[in-house]
Amino acid sequence: MKGGWFRGYAIVYLLVLYAPIMLLPIFAFNDSAIVSFPLAGFTTKWFTQMADEPTLHDALRNSLFIAVSTAVISTLLGILAARASTRFVFPAKGAIMGLIMLPLVLPEIIAAVSLLVVFLGIGIPLGLITIILGHVLVCTPFAIAILSASFQSLDKSLEEAAYDLGETPLSTFWLIILPLVMPGIISSLLITFTISLDEFIMAFFLGGTNVTLPVYIFSQFRFPQSVPVIMALGTLLVLLSITLLAIAEYFRRRGIAKTGGKNTGGFL
Amino acid sequence: MTFSADRSTMIEFRDVHKYYGDYHALRGISGEIKSGEFFSLLGPSGCGKTTLLRTIAGFEGISSGAVLIDGKDTAGIPPNKRPTNMVFQSYAIFPHLTVAENVGFGLRRDPRSAAEKSRAVDEALEMVGLKGYGGRAANALSGGQRQRVALARALILKPKVLLLDEPLSALDKKMRELMQVELIKLQRQVGITFILVTHDQEEALVMSDRIAVMFEGEIAQLADPETLYRRPNSRKVADFIGTMNFIPCEVLSQGMDTIEVDAKGLGRVTLSTDQAPPPNGKESPVVGLRPETLTLLYPGQSTQDRTVDGVVDEVIYFGDMTYYDVYIGGTDVEVRLSMRNVPGRPILDVGTQVQLAWNPSALVLFR
Repeated sequence: MKGGWFRGYAIVYLLVLYAPIMLLPIFAFNDSAIVSFPLAGFTTKWFTQMADEPTLHDALRNSLFIAVSTAVISTLLGILAARASTRFVFPAKGAIMGLIMLPLVLPEIIAAVSLLVVFLGIGIPLGLITIILGHVLVCTPFAIAILSASFQSLDKSLEEAAYDLGETPLSTFWLIILPLVMPGIISSLLITFTISLDEFIMAFFLGGTNVTLPVYIFSQFRFPQSVPVIMALGTLLVLLSITLLAIAEYFRRRGIAKTGGKNTGGFL
Repeated sequence: MTFSADRSTMIEFRDVHKYYGDYHALRGISGEIKSGEFFSLLGPSGCGKTTLLRTIAGFEGISSGAVLIDGKDTAGIPPNKRPTNMVFQSYAIFPHLTVAENVGFGLRRDPRSAAEKSRAVDEALEMVGLKGYGGRAANALSGGQRQRVALARALILKPKVLLLDEPLSALDKKMRELMQVELIKLQRQVGITFILVTHDQEEALVMSDRIAVMFEGEIAQLADPETLYRRPNSRKVADFIGTMNFIPCEVLSQGMDTIEVDAKGLGRVTLSTDQAPPPNGKESPVVGLRPETLTLLYPGQSTQDRTVDGVVDEVIYFGDMTYYDVYIGGTDVEVRLSMRNVPGRPILDVGTQVQLAWNPSALVLFR
């Protein structure tokens, strides 16, 4: 068979990538406190048990607050940066954009430790706000990458036409640019929300006594009896992430089709 | 193709210069565009024609000089406050709006009632032949229809000047020819000054009352199409507009009203001074001759014009026309001539001995 080896390699690769995640729902519905085969039977009790965990509820509330704030702030910053980088020429543009995008590849633990030192040094109390700041740092490059594609596919003469037809630069932004990049904005909001929701290192270092969902999950692994509940929680998180990312990708593609651009590939 | 020169001035360029950093894009443009005129800026890409158009719209500032619209200096006036509207090369149709919303976009700040505005939109759509298309999504239109929407959208504001930036370049040949005629009719109907930017010399000749030919940021010649074609003021302009044969020659004597030249293959010719634009002194002298001013004499035909013998070197058949490349006067000078194909007139073969008729008045001397 032509390319048989490569096909086999691809299948093994995908299995290693996704098979462990598939174990999550399996054990989430398994009627046993011990995570091992053979399976004991079907139950939904681990899901109902989540309702009786007040610390889980706190973590969920914290995570949602942080994720929503992070999504809004990093998307706003992303709009400004993407607009600037696609429409204007300014000195050292390449270097500035490169530095802004750097957190994408920077070891996150380094950034988290540095931020921790700075916050403690200038006396900012650790809490939800400091986690949000850390998450904005992580998420803004993603927002810029998504939004730059949206702004890039926008024909400059559309703005000029609106300006020519009597609108001001500001009303042109509201009437023409914003509606056309809206799919990109929605896509950016959803992806940064998802990243923030799953993020662990920043939340762990910068949270003080505040716990987010990933930190909660990590802490609960010390107690064997709560592992099945974590499996149930993980199952829900995976479902939520996949749904949000699928919606985000839908909007990203629709936005590019709307402005007549070419799809150059996104994160999905 | 006649245009009365007594109309008022709509646009005036006064020694306009434009620099992009070190790049000198416009190098001292001066000239006037008359009210109600169909004016074209013609030139190869990079000659500054689009930049000049955009200085009228207000999208480009100028480095020195002045651009006046209807007698008023435009310095510091932004595009949204200028009495000009533009049809963009990409048409710039707003993809998220309907056809009617696109056409009516410029009326947003108009104090008229919604009903009156909607009537104005309908009228504008009817004018460009898109009656009943108002409710359609702008995205669903063909190239020609987008073009019409862009025209209606610009004309609904009744600008003093309509600016057209290569508006036909994205259309196929048939559609382009159709739109050329429609644009001419539309311009006559609305009486607004049209300024067209194009790199297509044929398009400029067909559509314009007057044409400014631009090279490297300068206007090389500003004239009506017939003058441009018959009396180009430089070899470069002659070469850019249509086809012209250039025959090396020697200037024998220069009189008050006449110039005597010896053209290779044609022999001695006396030209009037208006056949000789001012010399630029850079190139060796040539006389220019358009292909259609040369006639192939068939056996038994006679002529009042001068004649020259030749040998057919190449035959290019175009259906309605045939082009012949002919060596003339026993020299290595080759000229191209065009003959209309009519029934009973055979297409000649390569190598045929022929006689060509030509008239000295058709020559232009470049030196």
